Amino acid sequence: MKKTNSAQYTIFVLVLFTIIVPFIPLILWSLSEQWFYPAALPQKFGLRAWNYIFSTAGEQIIRGLVASFSVALTTSILSLFIGYPAGRALGLYNFKGKKFIALLLLLPIVVPPLSTSMGLHLWFLHLNLTEHFLGVVLVHLTFCLPYSIYVISGVFSDFNPDFEAQARSLGATSWQVFVRVTLPMTLPGVTVAALFAFLLSWSQYLSTLIIGGGKILTLPILLFSLMDGGDRPVASAISLIFICPVFVVLAASAQSLGRQGLRGIR
Amino acid sequence: MFTAPASRPPVSPKETTLPQKSIILLLTPALLVVVTLFGGGLVIGFFQALGYQPGIEEQSLSLQHFITTLTDPDFTTSLGLTLYIALTSTLISAIASILLAVAINHWAANNKIIHFILQIPLAAPHLVIGISMILLIAPSGFIARLCSFLFAVDVQNTFPILVNDKWSVGILLVYIWKEIPFITFMLLTVLKNMGNELLEAGASLGATKLQRFFSITFPIIRLSLGASCCIVFAFTFGAFEIPYLLGQTYPQTLPVWAYMNFSDIDLKARPEGVALGIIIAVIVISTVLLSEYLTRTPNRNR
Amino acid sequence: MIFLQQIGTSLLSFLVSVVISVGGAFAADSLSWQQIEAQAHGKTVDWYMWGGSPAVNTYVNEYLRTELRERYGIILRQVPVQDIAEVVSKLAVEKQAAKVEGGSVDLMWINGENFRTCKKLDLLSGPLTNILPNSRNLDSDSLALLSDFGTPVENMEVPWGNSQLVMIYDSARTPAPPRTISSLLTWIQNNPGRFTYPAPPDFTGSAFVRQIFYHEAGSVKQWQGNYSKEDLKNAADKTFATLVRLKEALWREGRTYPESPVRMDTLFADKQVDFSFSYQQGSASQNIDDGIFQPTVRTYVFEEGTVSNTHYVAIPFNAKDKYAAMVVANFLLSFEAQLEKAKKDVWGDFPVISLVKADPAWKNQFSSLPKGPATLSDEELQAHQLPEPPAEVLIYLEKGWQKQVLKNR
Repeated sequence: MKKTNSAQYTIFVLVLFTIIVPFIPLILWSLSEQWFYPAALPQKFGLRAWNYIFSTAGEQIIRGLVASFSVALTTSILSLFIGYPAGRALGLYNFKGKKFIALLLLLPIVVPPLSTSMGLHLWFLHLNLTEHFLGVVLVHLTFCLPYSIYVISGVFSDFNPDFEAQARSLGATSWQVFVRVTLPMTLPGVTVAALFAFLLSWSQYLSTLIIGGGKILTLPILLFSLMDGGDRPVASAISLIFICPVFVVLAASAQSLGRQGLRGIR
Repeated sequence: MFTAPASRPPVSPKETTLPQKSIILLLTPALLVVVTLFGGGLVIGFFQALGYQPGIEEQSLSLQHFITTLTDPDFTTSLGLTLYIALTSTLISAIASILLAVAINHWAANNKIIHFILQIPLAAPHLVIGISMILLIAPSGFIARLCSFLFAVDVQNTFPILVNDKWSVGILLVYIWKEIPFITFMLLTVLKNMGNELLEAGASLGATKLQRFFSITFPIIRLSLGASCCIVFAFTFGAFEIPYLLGQTYPQTLPVWAYMNFSDIDLKARPEGVALGIIIAVIVISTVLLSEYLTRTPNRNR
Repeated sequence: MIFLQQIGTSLLSFLVSVVISVGGAFAADSLSWQQIEAQAHGKTVDWYMWGGSPAVNTYVNEYLRTELRERYGIILRQVPVQDIAEVVSKLAVEKQAAKVEGGSVDLMWINGENFRTCKKLDLLSGPLTNILPNSRNLDSDSLALLSDFGTPVENMEVPWGNSQLVMIYDSARTPAPPRTISSLLTWIQNNPGRFTYPAPPDFTGSAFVRQIFYHEAGSVKQWQGNYSKEDLKNAADKTFATLVRLKEALWREGRTYPESPVRMDTLFADKQVDFSFSYQQGSASQNIDDGIFQPTVRTYVFEEGTVSNTHYVAIPFNAKDKYAAMVVANFLLSFEAQLEKAKKDVWGDFPVISLVKADPAWKNQFSSLPKGPATLSDEELQAHQLPEPPAEVLIYLEKGWQKQVLKNR
C-alpha cells in the first residue's frame, strides 16, 4: 500500500508540474511592468496590462466574450439536438448501411475545418451568411456536430433499452419515457458531448476568421490581432482572460458530473 | 477508428433493430447538416479550385491550380514538414499516453485531483499554449532567464533554439502537451472497464510485466489508441495557429501555406489556396481510411 | 454544385431574409454636410484596422470613440485585424460576387499596395476627400498627398497621418550606431547574429528592403518618374544579392525572421539583437514609458534619409454606413484629433494637416508638444525624409525577396 501511495504521489507531482508550467510565464508577464532580459523575475510588478485590458480594450474584450460565448453555446445546443437522435441510431441499432453512414457522419472529425470553410466562404457569401453570427455557427457545426454524435453514440452503445421497454409496459408515453428514463440515464454523456462541442467552438480560430471576416470578433480573433506577437504583458493578460471561462466551465462540469468528468469522451 | 464507440458489445444485444423508417428519422437531421455543410463546403471548394468563379457566364474548369500546386517545389518540402510534425507529435503523445494511462490506472485510478488536473490541457485553447510556449522556451524566455540566474552567466547564445526552429520543437511541445491528456482519457476509459482480473490472472500464470502488457493490456487498448491517434494526427496535420505562431518563416506547413494563398491580396492565388485545402483533406481522409483498414485485419473476433 | 446550392438556398432562405440588411446608396453629392451629419447620427461605424499597436488602439478606442459619440452620436467600433490586406482581398471577393450593399467594413486604414489594389479593382467609394469640410486643413498642393506609393490618390482616400522609418538602438549597448546604410551593412557583417528584420510582406520589413534598394540603386528620384523594367530588375537583383550575402550574419543566420516589427522589438528588448526599427517615429519613446525598452534606448535616421509615407482611411464600395464613415473621416482631419494623435504619450504620429494656414493658437499647441526621450525632433526627421517608390516596385521587391532571399532560388 505504501508503494502505491508514493507512486501515486509521484504521478501527481509530475502531472501537476507539467500542466502548471506554461501558465507561470503568462501570469508573471501579465503582472510585469518591467522585465528586462536576463532578470529571472520582473524587475517591476504592476497592472499596466490589466489596466489596458479593462479600460482601453475592455469593450472589445466583453464583445469578444459575448461573441465567443454565444457562438459556442448556440453551436453546442444545435449539435446536441441534431446529434442526439443520430447518436442513438448509431450506438443502439443495427441497420443496413450503418458502416457507411457512420463513416460519413464522423468524417468531419478528421477533415480540418480549413478545407471546408474555404469552400463554404463562397457559398455563404451568396447567402449573405459571411460576417454573420449564423454563418460562423454553421461552419462550427460542421465539426462540432460529428464530435457530439461520436460521444453520444458511445453513450448509447452502453445503454440498455430494456429500461425504456419496462417504462412503456407500465403505461408511460414516449415523452415520459424520454424525460424520465432515457434522458437521465444518458445525461452524463450528453453533458460531455455538449462540453466538448462548446470547447471546440470556443477555441476555433481559422474557420471563424474565414467565415466571420474579423467582424464576428470572438476571443481567439481578438487575441491574434491584439497581440501580433508583441506586447508581452498585454498578450499574456488576454491569454489569461481567454482561458478563464474555460476553467469555469470545466469546474462546473466537474461538479455536475461528479467523478465522471471528461472521461466519457472516447 | 470509427468502430471505437462500439468497441464493446452493446449491453443488450436483443433489441438492436428498429423499423427502417424510424432509423431514417433519427439520422436525417444529422445527415442533412453534414451533407450540406461539410459535403457542400468540400464540393464548392473543389469547383473553386478547378477555376469556377461566380458571376461569370463561361466557366472554364481545369486542373491547372492543382497541377501548379503539386508541382511547386515548395509542395514536397511543406508536405514533408507537415507530415513530420503530425507523425512525431502523434507518436510521442501516444507512447507517453500509454505509460501515463497504465500508471494512473495502476496506482491512481481513484485520484480525483489527477483526473481534474489532466482535464485542463483538454480545455485550454491551442493559441494560449502557443503564446505561453514562446514566453517559456524562447532563447530569452522564462527558462533561459532562470538558467542565466542560476548559473550566473548569460545563456542566451548557448540556449538551444526551440521556437521558430528547424526541427519545430516548439510546435511539437505544444501538441504533445495538449494531446497526451486527450489520448490518456481515451485509454483510461477502456482500461477501467477491463478491470484488474485479467492482469492478475496473467501474473498468476507467471507472465512478466512486459508480457502482461503486450498480450493483455495492449490488445484491449489497441482500438481506442488507434482511434485517438487518428484524431490527433488529423488535427495536427490540418491545424493552422500553432505552426503559424511557432514555425519558421520558410518552409511553411501545408495549412499555413494554404491560408496565405487564400487570403492573398492577389486574387489569382486564391484558387490555389483552396486547392491546397482540398489536397489536405484528401491526404487526411486517405490516411485515416488506410489506418482503419490496417488496424482492422488482425484480431477480428473480439 | 448547382444542386447543392439549390438545397442550401431553400434550406436557409428563411435565415437569409433575417440576415439581409439594405444599405443606403452613395449619393453624397446631393446632400449638404449638415444632412450628412444628421444621417450619420446614431449609426455604427466599423473601422477595420491593423490592431497590433496598443498606442493606436488606445487613441481609437478611448479618444476617438468618446469624441465621436459626444459630438455626432456615432458609435465607433474598431475591428482589429492582423493585416488589412485580408480585408482588401475579402472586398475583392465581394465585388466579384456582386455583393454591392450592406458590407460590414465602413472604414479602413490603408495605404500603398493595398490602396493600389483597391483602386485597380474599384473597391472604394469616392471621390471622398473633397466632400469633407475639414479637407481645408490639408495643404492641397502638397505633392506628398497627391500620390500614395506612386498611385494617384484622386481623393479616393483621406489622409490621416504621416510617419517615417527610424532606427532604434540602445545607447548603452551601441554607443556609436552606424549612421549610413553602407556602414550598417559593414556593422552587420562585423557583428554576426546581432541584426534582423521582419520578413516581407510585413510592412516594416518591406520598408527596410526598400532602404537597401535605394542604397543599391544609388538613386531615389529615378523611381518617382519614368524607369524601365530593366532598371528595376538590375537594381532589385543587386538588392537581393546584398541581402543574400547578409543572411549568414543575421540573427539565426537568416534561417528565420521575426514576423512583425513588434516581435523584432521583443528580440531587441531581450538583447538578442542590437537594433530594431519602426515605421512609427514615436514608438520607441512609448515603449520606454511602458517598460518594454530600456530607458537608454534612442532612435536615429540614416544620413541619406529614411522612407516616409502618408497613411490614409478609405470607405469601401459596399459600406453599410457611408455617411457616418464620412463624418468619422472628417473628424480625423480636425485640429483637435490631429493634436491628440501627435501627443507622445498617445501615439506620436505626425499631423497630416498643414499648420501654415492654422490659427496661431493651434500652431502654438502643436509646436509646444513635448517629445519622448527617444523621439527625434521634427526638423531632424523632416530633413531626412525620402519618398516611397511606386507600389509596383514595392510588390516586385516583396515577391523577389520571397523567392531569392528567403527561398534562395
